[in-house]
Amino acid sequence: MIATQLLVNAAALGAAYALVAIGFVLVLNATTAVNFAHGESVVAGGFAAVALAGFLPPDIAVPGLVLLPGVLVVSALLGLAIGALAYLPIGNRPPVSVFVTTIAVGIVIANGLNAGFGAAPRSAPPLVGTGGFEFLGATASLQSLAIIATATVLIGALAWLLQRTQLGRRFRACAQDPEMARALGIRLTRITLMAFALGTAFAGVAGLLLAHQFFVSASDGGVLVLKAYIAVVIGGWGSLRGAAAGALLIAVFEVGIAAIASQPVAEGALYIAVLLVLFVRPQGLFGEPQQVRA
Amino acid sequence: MNLRTHMPAAGMATALAVYATVLASSYDQRLLALSGVYLILVLGYQFIFGHAGALSLAQGAFFGAGAYATGILATRWELGFLATFPLSIAFAALLAAIIAAPVLRLRTHYFALATLALAQLLLLVAVNWEPVTGGANGLSGVPPVSILGWQAPRGLPLVAVIWGIAGIAMLIAHHQMNPQRRAAFSVARETPLAAPAFGIDAGLLRLRAFLLSAAFGGAAGALFVHTNRVVSPETLGFGVMVTCLTMTVVGGRYRIAGALIGALLLTHLPEWLRGLDAYYLVAMGALLLAMVLFAPDGLASFLPARKPLSGTAASPVPIPSPGLFAGPSSSLEATGLHKSFGGIRALDGLDLSFKSGEIVGVIGPNGAGKTTLANALTGIAPADAGVIRLNGNEISGLAPHDIARRGLTRTFQTPQLPAALDIRSIVMTARNHTGAHNAAPDADDAIAFCGLSDEANEASGSLPHGLRRRVEICRAIVSRPSVMVLDEPAAGLTPEEQAEIGALCRALADAGMAVLLIDHNVGFLKPIADRLICMAEGRILADGSPEATLADPSVRAAYFGMDA
Repeated sequence: MIATQLLVNAAALGAAYALVAIGFVLVLNATTAVNFAHGESVVAGGFAAVALAGFLPPDIAVPGLVLLPGVLVVSALLGLAIGALAYLPIGNRPPVSVFVTTIAVGIVIANGLNAGFGAAPRSAPPLVGTGGFEFLGATASLQSLAIIATATVLIGALAWLLQRTQLGRRFRACAQDPEMARALGIRLTRITLMAFALGTAFAGVAGLLLAHQFFVSASDGGVLVLKAYIAVVIGGWGSLRGAAAGALLIAVFEVGIAAIASQPVAEGALYIAVLLVLFVRPQGLFGEPQQVRA
Repeated sequence: MNLRTHMPAAGMATALAVYATVLASSYDQRLLALSGVYLILVLGYQFIFGHAGALSLAQGAFFGAGAYATGILATRWELGFLATFPLSIAFAALLAAIIAAPVLRLRTHYFALATLALAQLLLLVAVNWEPVTGGANGLSGVPPVSILGWQAPRGLPLVAVIWGIAGIAMLIAHHQMNPQRRAAFSVARETPLAAPAFGIDAGLLRLRAFLLSAAFGGAAGALFVHTNRVVSPETLGFGVMVTCLTMTVVGGRYRIAGALIGALLLTHLPEWLRGLDAYYLVAMGALLLAMVLFAPDGLASFLPARKPLSGTAASPVPIPSPGLFAGPSSSLEATGLHKSFGGIRALDGLDLSFKSGEIVGVIGPNGAGKTTLANALTGIAPADAGVIRLNGNEISGLAPHDIARRGLTRTFQTPQLPAALDIRSIVMTARNHTGAHNAAPDADDAIAFCGLSDEANEASGSLPHGLRRRVEICRAIVSRPSVMVLDEPAAGLTPEEQAEIGALCRALADAGMAVLLIDHNVGFLKPIADRLICMAEGRILADGSPEATLADPSVRAAYFGMDA
């Protein structure tokens, strides 16, 4: 019934948020820096889908999923550009510099899209088709189920990559101790750029997934990066699993409170909740207190 | 304070006045008014983002808070400028004060998130609390600035009011950021771990910076509303924050001239780049990126540098006062110190005491708990249990800067010196907290005592390692402590340099200080130590004369790997 339906909606939203948050953590772990352009990467993915959909034949309903490889490629290239422009030249300067450079890149992307596509929200084609399934008296839209399925497949593929391949081991080694990884002959710069490519590709796909139901507009980036940020804080700084869990939690929270009260109340409650988390446990809900060595 | 130092400021003010009154069209005057508003905003942001080095994303929120306070008070309560302006500043500062306690202790990425969440929250309130804030449309009909019946209409009068207030803001910023506090901020920002060990209360500095940034932001927001005559959610949007950040990065984070350049340039740039049209903001982002990459200290860094902090630059080399250090009654006594990291007991019921005139050496294998001991004594990483008394008074549980101010200082394994700061400024930051007392003579005394007079005006980053070690010691003694803990002061030094450090320690002990010297190098410790302690696994293995300790069978087994 309504509860089941809300749950499916929350799961779909959460699955898309999880892609965003996981992409955010991939970059975070490779660089120990926050990528503020990440929200704009989601938006860029959405617009990439809108633009690529323009090449589809207009008279037949082609499922939006065929756009996935294109969005992946465009977003990965964007990620490479972000890494090369906003992170690599920073060198040993304090992390605040990366905040500012990625904010700068975010401004460029958002306003470039705004100039190119206009300020009005745009919509990408549905992933599979419109319509839905009836079960247990509830309607689950085809779009929601397709979002959940796509995100699950991608997250599964990432888990396989990180756990089972040599590249994944290198990734994890760099995340744990970049100095040691470099000393062992891992090319840190290459891994860092790949993290940007992969993380931004995840963000871009999330953009494709969200852009049908929720539309996409150039100014959405700020709120999206904030949600990824919050998911990572709730889930534990640097944890991929935690980020996914945090993203799902945010979606349940948003959909739930929006159903009871309203969208603004849900958003406000989320910000208050994260401020409380930060006040009570500055290291995050599951985070470890860090040792400092004088 | 002579005419020369004020020449550029006076010249600039005259030029601006001439431009505003003679040359500027009414549109130019509007841009000038906006530049003044942003100047105040950026001056405020420099405190927290520049001097404190914390990426606050709430500066736009404080601007909006001031804007809404003025808008609501002026339209709904019909209060005059003399009431709304101070109240708007107070409202922004109050917001900052409320969230300061929990937010300011957060590390970089959490601080940025918390301030961003606060900004989003305020924006939500402004958009949705329609009866009070006017919702998405905001409030219109805000009256012009009126002071005691005189109204400042748009145009020249408004420019004069705004730039008058901006002038006051610059004066406040100038006085708040006197050279000594500037140096203290720089130490706290660049060597956060070490700052408290030299008596710098980094938390208080950050609080001051945060409150000032909010107050300036509130003032700017209030004036913005009087310029636009409407207040809308846009004043709270991320756009203001980004504008402020860009101005600060482009102009420069630390200097008033930077705020001036950033505010004036970026308010006028859209006019000059009108041809770019919709791509103007793209160019803005690219400019911000380019500045961070190629001129990280902003355009102001290309102006001639301010003169180094000296005050006594021409004074003759002072003779170290015989009573430079504490009286003959210094002592440090620690009992039952425990400290665990997970399952590892780094300190396991350690007792230790030493007194003035004594140099106590501490040796021990890697992981014996030597640095943990130094961190526990000085409060940098407090012990889990145990009592520490300094000159008979308990200091365990006190904040590290408090412990330092009571007379227990230290040096670090790796010298913790801000590279760009000159030696005298660094040394003076460790003396500043004594309040009205002038730190310069003491700093010069300590600098001469450590044989650094020739290098006093040089940046610490330009000194060789051996001298940097001595700067660390100099900074630790300038506040005339009773007890000093040195963590591997001779590591990486040549035998000659080691001997110099040793002689320095001897002289300090002879002057009445109690010295704890942690090192690996028995050859360095043996000739200067009165007592030698050997630690292993968080406990004291042996404590006695250097000869006796080195001859102890358990020491030989633990430290030298020899059979007893």
